[in-house]
Amino acid sequence: MIGFKRYIFLIVMALCSACQQNEKARTIPVDDFFKSQDKIAYRLSPDGKYLSYLKLQGTEQNIYIEDIATGAGKNVTSLGDKRIVFYFWVSNNELIYYKEVDAAKSQSDVFIIDKNGGHQRQLLSSDKSRLKVLDDQLIDNKYLLVSSNKRDSTVFDVYRLNVRNGNMEMAARNPGNIVDWRTDADGKLRLAMSSDGVNTTILYRNQESEAFRPVLTSNFKDTFRPIAFSHSKPNIIYAISNVNRDKSALVEFDCNTGKELKNMYCNDTLNITDAQYSRKKQKMSFVVFETWKKEKHFLNDSVKLFYDNLDKLLPKTETRIFDKDNAENVFILRSFTDRNPGSYYLYFANTGQLRKLSDFNSSIHEAEMCEMKPVSFTSRDGLTIHGYLTLPLHQKAEHLPVVVLPHDGPGDRNLWGYNPEVQFLANRGYAVFQINYRGSSGYGKKFVAAGFKEWGGKIQDDIYDGVQWLISRNIADPKRVGIYGTGFGGFIALNGLYLNQGTYACAASNAGVINLFTYLKSIPPYQKPNLQMFYEIIGNPLTEVDRMRQASPLFQTDKFNAPVFVAQNIKDPGNNSGETIQFVKNLKKRGISVTYLENEGDTIFGKNQESRRKFYTTLEEFLNINLKRK
Amino acid sequence: MTLGKKGGYRKNFLLILTFIGLMSVLFLLSLGLAYRFSTKYVENDFASEKVNVLEQSIKPYNDFFQKKLPEVSYYNGYLDSATASHFVDTVQLEYPFVSKVIFYDSEVGNTPVSDGLNIGKFSFGPKNIYQFGSLVPNDSIQLFSRKNKRSFVVGDDFNALALKLVSYLESLDTTHVPSQDELFSAFSNVRSNKITYLNIPRIEDLKIYKEMIRKNLDPKPVYQQDMLSFQLDPYKIKIINSRPKLYQFIKIQPLTYDPLETSEAYLSTEITLPGPFSDFKLYFMSSKSFLDKEIRSYFWPIALAILVFYSILVLVAFLIYRNLNINQKMFKLQYDFVNNLTHEFKTPVSVIKIAGNNIKSAASLTERELGMYGRILDEEADKLNGLMNKLLAFTQIENKAIELNRDEINVHDFIESTVESHRLKHPDFNLSYEVSGFKTFITDPVLLGSLFDNLAENAYKYSPAERKKLHISARLIKGKVVFRFTDQGIGIPASEINNIFKKFFRIQNQYNQNGSVGLGLAFCKELVNFMKGEITVKSRVNKGTEFKIVLPYND
Repeated sequence: MIGFKRYIFLIVMALCSACQQNEKARTIPVDDFFKSQDKIAYRLSPDGKYLSYLKLQGTEQNIYIEDIATGAGKNVTSLGDKRIVFYFWVSNNELIYYKEVDAAKSQSDVFIIDKNGGHQRQLLSSDKSRLKVLDDQLIDNKYLLVSSNKRDSTVFDVYRLNVRNGNMEMAARNPGNIVDWRTDADGKLRLAMSSDGVNTTILYRNQESEAFRPVLTSNFKDTFRPIAFSHSKPNIIYAISNVNRDKSALVEFDCNTGKELKNMYCNDTLNITDAQYSRKKQKMSFVVFETWKKEKHFLNDSVKLFYDNLDKLLPKTETRIFDKDNAENVFILRSFTDRNPGSYYLYFANTGQLRKLSDFNSSIHEAEMCEMKPVSFTSRDGLTIHGYLTLPLHQKAEHLPVVVLPHDGPGDRNLWGYNPEVQFLANRGYAVFQINYRGSSGYGKKFVAAGFKEWGGKIQDDIYDGVQWLISRNIADPKRVGIYGTGFGGFIALNGLYLNQGTYACAASNAGVINLFTYLKSIPPYQKPNLQMFYEIIGNPLTEVDRMRQASPLFQTDKFNAPVFVAQNIKDPGNNSGETIQFVKNLKKRGISVTYLENEGDTIFGKNQESRRKFYTTLEEFLNINLKRK
Repeated sequence: MTLGKKGGYRKNFLLILTFIGLMSVLFLLSLGLAYRFSTKYVENDFASEKVNVLEQSIKPYNDFFQKKLPEVSYYNGYLDSATASHFVDTVQLEYPFVSKVIFYDSEVGNTPVSDGLNIGKFSFGPKNIYQFGSLVPNDSIQLFSRKNKRSFVVGDDFNALALKLVSYLESLDTTHVPSQDELFSAFSNVRSNKITYLNIPRIEDLKIYKEMIRKNLDPKPVYQQDMLSFQLDPYKIKIINSRPKLYQFIKIQPLTYDPLETSEAYLSTEITLPGPFSDFKLYFMSSKSFLDKEIRSYFWPIALAILVFYSILVLVAFLIYRNLNINQKMFKLQYDFVNNLTHEFKTPVSVIKIAGNNIKSAASLTERELGMYGRILDEEADKLNGLMNKLLAFTQIENKAIELNRDEINVHDFIESTVESHRLKHPDFNLSYEVSGFKTFITDPVLLGSLFDNLAENAYKYSPAERKKLHISARLIKGKVVFRFTDQGIGIPASEINNIFKKFFRIQNQYNQNGSVGLGLAFCKELVNFMKGEITVKSRVNKGTEFKIVLPYND
């Protein structure tokens, strides 16, 4: 009898251990998380008959055009190792594309080409100037309205670009302070925005023959973003504005009087970040607001019906529309969730049919990914701080090693959705904690302003308070909290190591800002008008030297006491690579364990697979030694 | 024979004397060498350790040069007089050899400057010049400004580095990222007692600077550059004497310093300081008597080691001498034994010879004579045979050449037969015995018999005529067989009691003038040992002796 019991016990044990084996999450190779697709940047021809995308074949990337009805298609370019930065249709027959010349300086040559690959012409050579397209419709079937800084690298003038011969004729000369130009539905240049760096002024004219006159001046802390001209009344524009309120709203604005006419959608708790105008219906379709994820409020029923139908076809996913034809019948959209990078689809509104184009990343299986949960906590001064917590799969949410992942800045934020970096870390067994610290966008202008000049100050406190909150809930193991970030995220990570001594077991910084002076110095010449604004956000290097020195890790190497991982791209123009090397040297002289990784490509945007793999493998090893095994 | 022995002793003595003599010479020689070695070593150290002193003393300067100086660049040209002053304060606190700092708050641009450097369309000139330092009076901190030039001339320091910057820009290859070292050397100027450093701009800015030499850029760009000129005082370098026992005095002296009155009593050496201090040197001086202490500190341990080594050698020599001495005594004993044995053999041999001669020379022998000679020959041959057997048995036992027989014997009968045979031999021998506790035991009867015979023979031999008595007792005590042989003989003096079991040992007295070889008791001991037993002796002079034999009881 006893022998029989023991036999059963053994079987149960064996089953249990087998179960546990299954329960353990598979370690997914680094590359799988970040895999780039071979088909990206889907676009539709204006008549909705052709589908175009950038197709990667080997190392070569070309524009590929496909007949939607027949499925027949071909490459229309042959670019060798050059990349296409951006492209769009200008007519049913022609496309314009930007060929990359220097990625670091965002310089490109601009070409126009027929949809069958013929008649390729260069419209602009890089020559250090940049070209922005103001309106992607052709005027008189040959003119394109563009802005360029070819006259003066610091200002953008408006030109009428003849796509037939490449001639550029100035349409409006920038007096020196115009930072943006807008056209109306007919492609007429009737709105401009000027800036003295701190204040933005909206300039308006009734007709192109008139002179611009100022209608509204707002501080850079305010948002006033024109979305579209009203179809019926030429002096009315729709804009997203938070002038005189904390949260942005969609408003109707009278350019003649400079007054807000009405609130089209507004809420004390919701912050409108985007709005969609339908050219076909000549109406506003919906507004987008950000809570813990992007949500839509529909301004007319037919749009609501359209999206309801989509929700039925793609349940429990978020969808984004990337392109549509002029008739608003054919759409290109992408679906995604936090655990699924999603797929691209072609959607036919008239039939309600959905055709899958490609997966965003077919290596990712939803079941192996981790849920990204919105969380919030209260900071020491009473502010509600939102964030996301991603827990590793099949593990009890207790006493976990945590990687705090502050986002880049200034003015950025984390949003719900598939994030390969977060999923990579969670797959390696870490709880990943993202915090939308003060200064992050999407929570109203007070929240953004609360972060001004608080680098190394209250921003750091928010991160610290978040970690304490996580520890108090027994999710985090207080001895195994690490911090890692890119850009300003790296800055926060390094700051955390010496401003909150003992909180973090280690810190990793990728292309991190280590010196605020250098950061201000690196602002490119064409952004010089904004310098005063950067002084307000970051700090004034002339009057606040002490505070900025306190906040810059480079000056504080004497206070570091934990292992550091520093990665940098030595060709990154925003950074002074010599300073980072000096920083690493100074740390090493003090006997701090420093892992230093240098690359010449671009790890942030994931173009260089080899260096990206190296970076994440090193990060994994660094965290494994300094965090997990502690 | 005696002479030979004496000669042997004398030879040994001479050898020992020579040995000790040579050893002493060697000892003194090695001490001398050790002392010379220590002196040389210390002198070498004196010449070579200065590098370490230099290295440690100059470490703060290297730190300043490698760590603090680049900090100027961290400000990216944003340094103003207040921050610069604060920066200089921290520098002076940490690095006392920085005596004064001149701060050139400068601009790079396309507009020509009247003070500064204009090359092509590139201009580089100071906006303001300040000086900071603990000895700078408050009213003369600002030396120069564009509005108020006072009488200050921008000067050599600024121009030298500005020229260096321009020539670097001229040769700058904009397609490559310049290395840190390259930049550092281009943006710093090290001269005598002075380091001038210009903040290193970003590579992007350098490329624009290069362009600015050739053409006017639009709009006219202006870049901030901070140049700091650090005046250094070499006398404020803190000397770290890492070998205070080696160097009595270390001073910083000009390179030309060479005192005339270098007396014989002092040892000196020097090493030039690096970088901006290259006009100065570290001058090291120690008196000879000061160095002697250091030399001794090296010498004593070596001397001690030599002494220990020498002592061990002498000890070994003594032990060898002692062993030789013992061997010599053994040789003497063996010699005596051979002497005795020869004597022992001689008597029966001469008796046999006489008997043989008598038989040969006699014309006829009577019946009585025949009987007598026959008996004599037989007895003497037995005697010889006995002697030879004894010798043979002893050698065999000593070499463990025989094997132990194991027979059961009746103790009573065994002792009875021994006693009987001795009574027959010596009618005046009064023998008695007792047995208690056991009746039989297993042993080798031949060996045991031999043991009994020897002890009984000894008891008879070493007893005065009136007290020839022996009492043998056999008992079983705690699982062991114990035999006691108690006589009332002459006894053994306490001083000799330890020697009686040694080979060839005989106590010199009237009882053993003849017929004894000194083998008996040694033989007994060997026998008992062979039988895995023990033999001990208790004795009082003129009262008697008791031998106690303990044998294992193998039942």
